Amino acid sequence: MEKISGAQALMKSLLREGVDTIFGYPGGAIMPVYDALYDYKDSIRHVLVRHEQGAAHAAEGYSRLAGKPGVCMVTSGPGATNLVTGIADAMCDSIPIVCITGQVTEAALGTDAFQEAPIIGIVTPVTKWCYQITNAAEIPHIVAKAFHIANAGRKGPVLIDITKNAQFELCEYDDSVQTVKLKSRHDPYYQKKLQRAAALLNNAKRPYVLFGHGISLSKAENELAQFLEKGGLPAASTLLGLSSLPKSHPLHMGMLGMHGNYGPNKLTNKADVILAIGMRFDDRVTGKISAYAPQAKIIHVDIDYAELDKVIPAEVAIHADAKEFLAQLTPLIKHKNHSAWIAEFRKFDAEEKKVVTEAELYPKAGEITMAEVVRLVSEKTKGKAVIVADVGQHQMVAARYYCFENPDSYITSGGLGTMGFALPASIGAKIAGPKREVIAIIGDGSFQMTLQELGTIMQEKLSVKIIILNNRHLGMVRQWQEMFFEERYSFVHMENPNFNKIADGYSIPNELVQERKDLSPALDRMLSAKGSYLLDIMVERDENVFPMIPSGAAVDEIRLK
Amino acid sequence: MRYVLTIKSENAPGTLYRIAGLLLRKKINIESLHVKEVDRKKHISHFTIEIFLAPHLMAKLIKQIDRVVEVFHAEYKRSA
Repeated sequence: MEKISGAQALMKSLLREGVDTIFGYPGGAIMPVYDALYDYKDSIRHVLVRHEQGAAHAAEGYSRLAGKPGVCMVTSGPGATNLVTGIADAMCDSIPIVCITGQVTEAALGTDAFQEAPIIGIVTPVTKWCYQITNAAEIPHIVAKAFHIANAGRKGPVLIDITKNAQFELCEYDDSVQTVKLKSRHDPYYQKKLQRAAALLNNAKRPYVLFGHGISLSKAENELAQFLEKGGLPAASTLLGLSSLPKSHPLHMGMLGMHGNYGPNKLTNKADVILAIGMRFDDRVTGKISAYAPQAKIIHVDIDYAELDKVIPAEVAIHADAKEFLAQLTPLIKHKNHSAWIAEFRKFDAEEKKVVTEAELYPKAGEITMAEVVRLVSEKTKGKAVIVADVGQHQMVAARYYCFENPDSYITSGGLGTMGFALPASIGAKIAGPKREVIAIIGDGSFQMTLQELGTIMQEKLSVKIIILNNRHLGMVRQWQEMFFEERYSFVHMENPNFNKIADGYSIPNELVQERKDLSPALDRMLSAKGSYLLDIMVERDENVFPMIPSGAAVDEIRLK
Repeated sequence: MRYVLTIKSENAPGTLYRIAGLLLRKKINIESLHVKEVDRKKHISHFTIEIFLAPHLMAKLIKQIDRVVEVFHAEYKRSA
């Protein structure tokens, strides 16, 4: 057998896994791999980010649209440690990414060598799996194992750390398929639980379905719609589940959680049977746990059995993939029409519209509101764009008011709440979905955490549309200080740079929008532009996001003002 | 409550660190620890770990240990 270097074996192994894109940043300890990559320029697109955190978020954004693991590759030491935030983000949101880090040579490990960081030790708690390769012969199998683990069961981030000697060393490369077997768990009571779930739902007077990111991760959007339609079941979504059912669907009641919709939260504590699928009862969804749906019989379905009974005890806890489970459950569900129960949701909707929504979406005077920007974007794109939102008020407003029509249309940092996520994630999303309109909606605070990725957008000539909802404040913190800290505004005001000049510097066409009359035409110009485009939109400074479940309050204590 | 965890895992570097990390996350102290390879051919190790933990947390913790990729099986019982 012909011998090749570890770096070449890595390239061949990545190609075997179907990798077509790598987000990365070279450096000393990964140079042999970058040298090998030079020969694979035609089959693997390398996207040079401007900071390693951007590589991890771009890999996340890529994964969300490509439906396969995103790959990022960086050097040792600071290159590797800069990935950590992105890895932790992917861990929280179950996003499969494979991170490859260079490492000092095996002989230098543990000597505080130049650019040595114990990255395995650092990332172990925030990865699903990680492994240090010190020998080139390990590469084919470990790469296969990494991709398998990232994408199997509950998806998540994995990291492979490769010492420099293993990149140089020669090894025999075996091109045969590398099979990886992980333990599997069989629940002998699965059929019984399935029947019990169906019986509970069929006999329920006020059934309620809560769905999360698991629907998108298992590609169960069609199965979910068919199931809901057959049972006539009202459903509400977590932040990351939002676009898995069109918002216009008559059974989509809206969003759960702290800044979710009024009815979906209020009626959580009125439902008699709740089916929660592909969601994990995050504290932002449940509010006060002891007061969460005490009256309901809860059926919880999740692919990670450690999530079952973790937060909310379930009457029926089912360890299953959402798609397979729904396909098996739907035939057992009776055709029903819960119109009186659904009307209760609509009554709350009307109240929310009257007190909150109407004024935000259609303001007659005053400064531009975040909500009207999102409404206009939604109308102009007919709900078909991919919205990549950062973290903060603008994220909640985008979630609330964009009328998602297609699956995988809302990409945001949910669990970890990583400011700076959106700009690099939109790069990955645009590369995975070049035909989709990708619009990053970002606050002025978040934008400044990763704005150097404008350089990546420029260099890769990506048609990413960027909207800065600029309120000159860290709006969400400001809102909490107003509501819960006696208006003691502690370090939330931001003296911002001229974002238009920054965009100019990166040759990205841009506009500043300060007045309502200019907003719609500017959005039109942005959407009709061929390449990237940036709008810095000045919005109301003191806007608060409502409804809101105050921290520590019960879901039905949700406030409209 | 005092518990004894018994864990069967791959005999691989980092496994103890990953399990200890799950304990640390909940600020659980290790009272005693024993690790030994029990199958040289299959590279299987056996852990015995004693901890103090509130009963309602034990069932959750053992599932988090059990889902670790390197772990084949994890269980617990009350310690005398």
